[in-house]
Amino acid sequence: MSFCFEVVITLTTKEYAKLLGEFVRFGCFTFGGGWSIIAQMQQLYVEKGQVITSQELLDLTSVAKSLPGVMIANVAMLYGYRVGGLLGGLVCVFGMCTPPMVVLIVISFFYQAFRTNYWVMAAMEGMQAAVVPIILGAAVGLAKGSVQYPPCYAIIAVCLALYLFTSLNPIVLVLIGVVSGLIVGAAYAGKEARSHGAA
Amino acid sequence: MVLLKLYWSFLLIGFGSFGGLSMIPQISNEVISHGWMTVDQVTDIVAIAEMTPGPLGLNCATFAGMQAAGVPGAIAANLGTLTPSLTLCAVAALFFQHFKDSTIMRRILVGVRPACFGMVLGVLISLSMSNYFLAGSLHIPSVVIGIVDAVLLLKYKVSIPKLLILSCLSGLILFGVLGLA
Repeated sequence: MSFCFEVVITLTTKEYAKLLGEFVRFGCFTFGGGWSIIAQMQQLYVEKGQVITSQELLDLTSVAKSLPGVMIANVAMLYGYRVGGLLGGLVCVFGMCTPPMVVLIVISFFYQAFRTNYWVMAAMEGMQAAVVPIILGAAVGLAKGSVQYPPCYAIIAVCLALYLFTSLNPIVLVLIGVVSGLIVGAAYAGKEARSHGAA
Repeated sequence: MVLLKLYWSFLLIGFGSFGGLSMIPQISNEVISHGWMTVDQVTDIVAIAEMTPGPLGLNCATFAGMQAAGVPGAIAANLGTLTPSLTLCAVAALFFQHFKDSTIMRRILVGVRPACFGMVLGVLISLSMSNYFLAGSLHIPSVVIGIVDAVLLLKYKVSIPKLLILSCLSGLILFGVLGLA
C-alpha cells in the first residue's frame, strides 16, 4: 500500500505549489510549438537548478514524442511524474495548459480584429524571430547529453536527414534510435567487458 | 450533450495524432462535420494558434469549444485533447521510471537520445528557413533580432520569458513604429 502512496504523492504542498508556478510560467511563454518548452526546461531544470541532466530531458522528450497526444502535455506529465509522482504530473499538465486556454478564450471574442491588427502583427513578427535562437539554446544544452559512443553521431546525421528530406512520422525516427541503440549498446558493452577482462 | 460530444471528438483527435501540424486534418474534419466551425474559421484558428502561446492542438480545442458551447465547451475540448497525456502517458511515466535503469532500457536510450537530438536539429533548420526567409529572400530585421537574441541567450544567459518580451518590444518598434517590412 505504501508503494501506491509513494507513486501518487511524493512532495510537500509547498513544493507542488512551486512546480505549479513554474509550469504556469512555461505555459505563458510557449511560442513556436512544443520545442520552446523543452528550451525553457533545459534552462531552468538542467542548467540552473540541475534537477535533471540533459540526458534525462532528452529521454523524456523522446518518450513524449512517441506517444499520441500533445507533445508538451506529455513532457509535462513525464517530468511531473519524475519529480513529484502522479500528482506532480497532473499539476504540471494543468499548470501549463491553463494560461494558453485563458488567453485564447479571451481572444476568441474578437479574433478577427486580433488577426488583422497592425500592432499585434508587428509584435508577433518580433517574437517569431526569437523562436529559432530559443530552440538553438535548447540544442546547445542537449548536445552533450546526446552522444555516449561515437556511432551516435551517425544516428544524429541519419535522423536529421530523414527529418528534413522525408515526411516520416517522428515515431519511425525514435524506433530507428531504439534499434540502433540496442545494437550500439550491446557492441560497446561487449567491448568494455573485454577491455576490462584484459586489464 | 454538446459538451460530451466535444470531449469525445477531441479525445479521438488526441489519441489519433502526434501533435503539431499533423493534427490539423483531423481537427478540421471533426469540427466542420459537427458544424462547430466553418472552413474559414479553421484557417483563422491555425493562424491564431501560431500567434498565441500554447500548442496548436490545445488552441484549436479551446477555439472550437468556444464556438460550440462557450467556456464550458472550451474546457471540455481541452480535457479531451489532454486525455492521452493524463492516461496513456501517465502509465508510460510509471513504466519508464521503473525500467529506465535496466540494461535493455539503458542500451535503447543510447540510440534514442541522438535520434531525438537529430529531430531537434531538424526543427531548428526548418524553422530557420520559414522564419527568416520570407518570399524567397532573407528578412534582415528578423535576422538581426534573432542574432541579438542568440547572443543574449547563449552568452549572457538571459531567461527565455525575458527574451520573448524583449523580442516582442523589438517587433513593435522595428515593424510597428518604423514600419520595416
